[in-house]
Amino acid sequence: MGYPSVERRRVLAAAALGREPGVPGPDPDDGRPLRAISGEILDISPHLIIIETPDGNQERLVIAPWATAWHGADTAPADLPVGALVTMRALQDGRVVERIWADTTRITGTILSITGRRDLTLELDCGPHRGHRTVLVPYRASGRIQVRHPVFEPGYLFDAIGIRQDGAGLALLPATSQPPYPARAVPAPPPAYAGVQQRVSGTATWSDTFDEDEHGLAYPMLERSDAACPDAETSCTGLPYLSIGSLVQVRNVCTGRSANVPVVACGCVAGRFCDRCVECDTSPRGRVAELSPSSFVELGGDLVKGCFNAQIGLG
Amino acid sequence: MLESQLPAVIVLLLLGTAAKLVTVRTGGEPGALSRLGPAVLVPGRMQAPALLFCAAVEAVLAAGLLLTTHPAFRWGTAAFFAMSTYVLLELRRRRPDAGCGCFGEVSSAPVGLRSVGRTVALTGMALLSVWAPVPGWAAFTHPTWYAAAGVALLAALSPEVEELINRVRYRAPCEQRPAPAESVTLGRLRASGTWRAHRDELTSADPYDSWRELCWRFFAFRNRSGEDVVFAVYLSGRRPAVRVAVVTPEDSDSLPTYTQVSA
Repeated sequence: MGYPSVERRRVLAAAALGREPGVPGPDPDDGRPLRAISGEILDISPHLIIIETPDGNQERLVIAPWATAWHGADTAPADLPVGALVTMRALQDGRVVERIWADTTRITGTILSITGRRDLTLELDCGPHRGHRTVLVPYRASGRIQVRHPVFEPGYLFDAIGIRQDGAGLALLPATSQPPYPARAVPAPPPAYAGVQQRVSGTATWSDTFDEDEHGLAYPMLERSDAACPDAETSCTGLPYLSIGSLVQVRNVCTGRSANVPVVACGCVAGRFCDRCVECDTSPRGRVAELSPSSFVELGGDLVKGCFNAQIGLG
Repeated sequence: MLESQLPAVIVLLLLGTAAKLVTVRTGGEPGALSRLGPAVLVPGRMQAPALLFCAAVEAVLAAGLLLTTHPAFRWGTAAFFAMSTYVLLELRRRRPDAGCGCFGEVSSAPVGLRSVGRTVALTGMALLSVWAPVPGWAAFTHPTWYAAAGVALLAALSPEVEELINRVRYRAPCEQRPAPAESVTLGRLRASGTWRAHRDELTSADPYDSWRELCWRFFAFRNRSGEDVVFAVYLSGRRPAVRVAVVTPEDSDSLPTYTQVSA
């Protein structure tokens, strides 16, 4: 069965159970709202950036004096190349940019093969919806990446952050430390003795397989038959079942921001990861949500760090 | 007296066969087999065949013990349990994290001295039965106190008994349990009074959309006035709670829309 009207599901479910249908978007009590803007750089100077957004509009934004940029390494915003695809975190109703990530990509999947001696070429299986992907690990980054992947062999998980270069992914930074067991041997969740918990803690990550500017998340615990996702229902955290279209309240424990984000995809790859995030404290094991870059940035996350400690509940 | 332990040995062999077959059949989670029993000592792709082979050997031995007095089956059973004792000791030494897998996925706790003690006791019981004058079925018809004592000893040495009690006492909450198939839940909806009250208004008996959220499964239908009729069926119990709402299409106009994705 397809999803003829997933956006209606929330309204229908709320009507049947007599509850309020939540509203997607950030919590209004969070103070200064952050806005994520993505697009292609048309022109950039130390104080002003002009981008073309995915819907074809031009936006002129002020670059804050304290702003920083990342393009494989920390750089000054003015040094970013014209034509780069950027995601930006903006303040003041989205007019003042304070952080820019250029051509940033995240490579998440199961290693299928590793070739090369100095520069390594990896082929990854990124799950049933995302297909295969080839990524290059340059020699200068391979030590750093391998130390966070204790078993760097086919059949094990891989997660790194890098940049897109000439159409291929270049892995530069490891995202998190991976436990040393194969991708298919996901540990069972801890037993739920005290009934269901209102909020589940874990780590929230981001993925670049969403559309630009899309707000949503991929959730591991969907019914296989509902989501047409044969690898779903796997997680090492005791997650409740939700469906595509459910609204999840995600709270960034590190910054205190929270937002209601709809489930838009099956997070079957995220469910296989049983790692921790050490962004502000050590989180419990397991990825509870894989956010789109826009949602991740608006919750105060840093794309280069790759994760934040999160609590989720039903929105 | 010699044949008194045959029933317990036969029942345990059959239980072991059934549990192993169920474990391989359901497959559990991918990788679950790799944490179970002697199968961890063989390479990944051989794990399911190894469990199946073990189950087949147990079934043949149980059938032989039940129907005949042939010494091959009896010595074979004693040898099987003696070998199991060795395998468990080896497993405990090489993979202290793996369960014995004796009863499939129920035996996923790490191998302890009790599991080893149980195979030693079973070896002894099998040896005792070697010289029994009657086949297993005859021993079933004349139960003795010796048989009860054997069963009590095995129960005391089985960590699975506690595991099963704990599973019943501390079941995962409904929100985290796999639900019955969609068709089963739809059947329960159609057996409810709420369904009969709204059945005649619907344009089709099959839902146009169905999804699960927490402990509820929702079925969405259209009625003759073009409105959505949504049923929510609780996923626990044989005669579950059913709720219904009729939603007009305009109800959602004011809500912001977001696009669905192909990720």
